[in-house]
Amino acid sequence: MEKAKISAIQLFALMFIFDLGTALIVSYGVTAGKDDWLSILLGMSGGIILFFIYYPVYRKYPDLPLTSYIGEIFGKYIGWIFGFLYCISFLYIAARNVRDFGDLLSSSTLTETPLLVIHTSFVLVICYVLYQGIEVLGRTAEIFLFVLILLGIIGNFFVLVSGDITFQQIRPPLEHGWGPIITTAFPTITTFPFGEMFAFMMLMPYLNKTKLVKKTWLSALICSGLILSWTAFLNMTVLGLDVMERSTFPTLATIGKVSLFDFIERLDAIVVLTLLLTVFFKAAIFLYSAVIGIVDLFKLKNHQQIILPVGIILIFTSMTIASSFSEHLEEGFDASIKFVHIPFFIIIPFLMLVISFIRNYIKKRSNAK
Amino acid sequence: MKTKSLRKTKRTQISTTHKDVNHQALYISTKLQENIQNITKSLGQSPDIIVRECRLGRQNQIQAAIIYTTGLADTKLVNKFIIEPLLTNHQNDFFEIQSKHEDSLHVIKQLLLPVGGIQETMNFDTVLTKILSGDTVLLCQGYDRCLLIASKGWKQRGIEEPTSQTVIRGPKEGFTENIATNIAMIRRKIKDSNLWLESFQVGRVTKTSVSIMYVNGIAKEKVVNEVRDRIKRIDIDGILESGYIEELIQDKTFTLFPTIYNTERPDVIAGGLLEGRVAILVDGTPFVLLVPAIFTQFFQSAEDYYQRSDISTLLRVLRYFSLIISMLGPAFYIAITTFHQDMLPPQLLISLSAQREGIPFPAFVEAFLMELTFELLREAGTRLPRAVGQTISIVGALVIGQAAIQAGIVSPAMVIVVSITAIASFTIPSYNMAIAFRILRFAMMTLAASFGLFGIVAGFILHIQNVCHLHSFGVPYMYPFGPNNTEDKKDTLYLRVPWWKMTKRPKTASEKNVIRENGTSVSKPEPEGSG
Repeated sequence: MEKAKISAIQLFALMFIFDLGTALIVSYGVTAGKDDWLSILLGMSGGIILFFIYYPVYRKYPDLPLTSYIGEIFGKYIGWIFGFLYCISFLYIAARNVRDFGDLLSSSTLTETPLLVIHTSFVLVICYVLYQGIEVLGRTAEIFLFVLILLGIIGNFFVLVSGDITFQQIRPPLEHGWGPIITTAFPTITTFPFGEMFAFMMLMPYLNKTKLVKKTWLSALICSGLILSWTAFLNMTVLGLDVMERSTFPTLATIGKVSLFDFIERLDAIVVLTLLLTVFFKAAIFLYSAVIGIVDLFKLKNHQQIILPVGIILIFTSMTIASSFSEHLEEGFDASIKFVHIPFFIIIPFLMLVISFIRNYIKKRSNAK
Repeated sequence: MKTKSLRKTKRTQISTTHKDVNHQALYISTKLQENIQNITKSLGQSPDIIVRECRLGRQNQIQAAIIYTTGLADTKLVNKFIIEPLLTNHQNDFFEIQSKHEDSLHVIKQLLLPVGGIQETMNFDTVLTKILSGDTVLLCQGYDRCLLIASKGWKQRGIEEPTSQTVIRGPKEGFTENIATNIAMIRRKIKDSNLWLESFQVGRVTKTSVSIMYVNGIAKEKVVNEVRDRIKRIDIDGILESGYIEELIQDKTFTLFPTIYNTERPDVIAGGLLEGRVAILVDGTPFVLLVPAIFTQFFQSAEDYYQRSDISTLLRVLRYFSLIISMLGPAFYIAITTFHQDMLPPQLLISLSAQREGIPFPAFVEAFLMELTFELLREAGTRLPRAVGQTISIVGALVIGQAAIQAGIVSPAMVIVVSITAIASFTIPSYNMAIAFRILRFAMMTLAASFGLFGIVAGFILHIQNVCHLHSFGVPYMYPFGPNNTEDKKDTLYLRVPWWKMTKRPKTASEKNVIRENGTSVSKPEPEGSG
């Protein structure tokens, strides 16, 4: 554990960027058809429900990271194993993020560069930031929040004035009823951008005002949810369902369609930049959570000594989790959600909530006697 | 980090006591001749040390000697106000009193010498130092004390317009090499009893006087104490410029970015003091340091506060853009021409590639060559004697201009990029910050040549987080942005709100007494016709 503190605004910036990471760019939720924006909103409300599963447990241990209080809840040994599994899952998701980014880059701009080189340079930058600690990460996020908002305004402005938007594309709403929307929202979208915020449970002890957790978490969640839904809406109106189903990076395609006065075109850089910044923070937070989890579980002195080794593991994991990009995406929609997101971000937290309630109840009764 | 070097110097401080080395006397003896001999011997019989022996008193009963250094002491002052009163007051009764009080030094000090600053000392080392800093020493037979009479007065440069930070509107006076003049210039701007001054002597050999100035009650006590401690911990043989102090007390040595602000302008220092910062003045240099310094400070010109706020804001935005250009200009050019040609509109792309038709180098080498040439020209321009300075501009215009293009070595577009970058880098008001971005530019170019835009952004993230982790005397370097403070953003990188809106002092340096002005007392004329 570092002796660092981050402010609520910094935490907000980290959470906000974290939620937008990859989700803003990659395709998800197309199973809901034309109404994916609606299912993202539903998924966001699912994220709010998840928060109220995490929050009561956190309130009991506001000064401990997840890997410490999981031991208090499940008992020393089972808790340790669960904590370790969490570290691995954080590392796995960090690797997925790095891979998402690397694939976007190698398919859009750096076609000749080997994936390993992109991953290595990207992970090294992350490692350097984490070496400086969470405080620096928080401050950097604060500064880049403005850059991101600026990029968002520019991107939205150009898409809106380009005249590519056809509202016919999203009509009729609820074409196939509520069924596909709800099955997409729960559990896929609930877990993919929003449930992943569980990683912040590792960072909570660094917040300087514990009272502000609820406000910060929910405002970051709602802001990012609205932006994601709006982006999905824009993508659908510009591209149409047909293209959306086939494209892996719909936002990139949307921006790519912008052409004004034969001069302002090929604005892909905005999207690549957004993805780079958001994924940078997302992967950094996951890696950091994994690293301080390992430090906590193995009782190491500081996190700096294991950042580089874990970073190298991250590079190799990101290279080996899939042999091709399509396989990587396939895994993301199927195995990753089923075996990582749902158990780790819904089932175990729920178990923790139940067990801590039971423990509390028993304690109260024994106290009453 | 910094404590490591200081700890090392501290150890030497304990082991070396200067006096032991030269086998000097520790204290003044009662014998006049011995004292004179000691002094002249210690100073190596240097001929510029004047020893004027004389006899005082009605019966000429007191043997005395006046010692000073020609050139350092004001000879007129010594003759008229020290020697003359001593010798011409023979017939008076002054020395009669001596028999009663038995202390003629006291009498001389109290009744005879019409000079302001007189001290007494017994310490031999102090005597030497004072002689060498221009004061006059009066020794008397039979006393183990002596008088130190302030008589500093040497030729010095007058107050001139500062050359490093010029303004269109604002005071045109700059600091000089004399610390006393500099202090007076600051005091003339802030006539408050809370403007406090502390003096130190730094440098074992040079014995340079270093002063810190702050407004008591506005400056954070923690910062003042930290500055004082860090200066006291310095142990070095010589301080010749404030740059020595800067490097010895800064928070982190190995960073491109300056964490201590320096300026030649008294108005900037006065402004900083009012914000709660601490000024460090060093004798012998017109450059005064200001701490704590944050990133945005280096992009502010004194003039921003004298022009109207909207104009200043625009100028700051302009500087902000020029900062980005000077760091990323050539990098973007390289990235776009090597990796992202598709980002350009077709016509521009055609014209660019037509220009690059016969160029034998890749864009990176081309850009690197030109940037290097420009840096060479700039360095030569600053080092050349004034008389030959003209040649540089002619050669420069030829080298990075027409000739290079006609020779087919670089493309015209490259020349434009390099020139714009060069001009942009000159708009950064602070020279040492501009240097940081000059160096970063080359790193960014390399990154752009290997990874395109991705490299630039990765480098940019690294750069931002690097400045985010710097501190200047406990204040985060990127202060109003990371950590965020909306109130203090009113006067930052791109914004300067009107004075009547900046009612509070920045939290950077002041914690108590933060109200700068009473918001209600803004004097605005009644709109016409309302009365």
